[in-house]
Amino acid sequence: MTTTTANHQSKVITHLLNGTNTTMKSIIPAEQNISKPQLLTEPPIVEYGVLIGITGDIKGKLMLAGDPAVFSGIGGVMFGMAVEGEMLVSFSGELGNMLAGGISTIVINEGLQTDITAPTVLQGSTKISGYKKAIQLTAGFKNIGELKVMFLLDS
Amino acid sequence: MARILVTDDAAFMRMQLKDIVTKLGHEVVGEAENGQVSVEMYQELKPDLVTMDITMPEMNGVDALKEIKKVDPDAKVIMCSAMGQQGMVVEAIQAGAKDFIVKPFTADRINEALSKAL
Repeated sequence: MTTTTANHQSKVITHLLNGTNTTMKSIIPAEQNISKPQLLTEPPIVEYGVLIGITGDIKGKLMLAGDPAVFSGIGGVMFGMAVEGEMLVSFSGELGNMLAGGISTIVINEGLQTDITAPTVLQGSTKISGYKKAIQLTAGFKNIGELKVMFLLDS
Repeated sequence: MARILVTDDAAFMRMQLKDIVTKLGHEVVGEAENGQVSVEMYQELKPDLVTMDITMPEMNGVDALKEIKKVDPDAKVIMCSAMGQQGMVVEAIQAGAKDFIVKPFTADRINEALSKAL
């Protein structure tokens, strides 16, 4: 990898992370603390999560993973109602859609044109593979719990 | 009271929109889970207004908007999407959308859009 390519990739990742921070705070009305990014060295295994494809200038996937109770708690603070059962699965996908859509809307200001796919909800132990680089953030929400946000990049 | 067709692939968002729209005094006459179904239901139900998500399987919301406009140039369609990129908003408005709401939405924002469009 040339220095120029590495610099460009580093900038892209910075824009993704900044966009994640901004979007999280704008869509989820709860006190939150987002960790520093971490490069994953092992394929992540998720029990419950949402996968959204990213196409365009950035290629890869955005994944949200956490306990269903955390997704439910986030639904509660966003919509003021308990979100359970099939509606929880639907809400979880939509939360991923809103996060990916928000990030996509922000990074275009940095010259990065992206589009997103409809969400896929993962239930049951799933080992995720098929990417070049994985970066993870952990978002902690007061009185709710933690959600992992992963960017699984194709290059 | 207006007759409204709600289009979103997420059942949760359809439920939220239906709840808000009903509380605002309107009637939800149909719920479509993708753009293709929305176009078919539009022709069958002839609603006063359609709310349209963009990122959906089968047919996306912008293509569905264009199809509905072909069938009825006077159709009133409000886009309701998590994607708020300027280019996407402009494309939807140029294709004839009355408004563009970025998710997550509030009841006030839905009310404002409906009041303007109807």
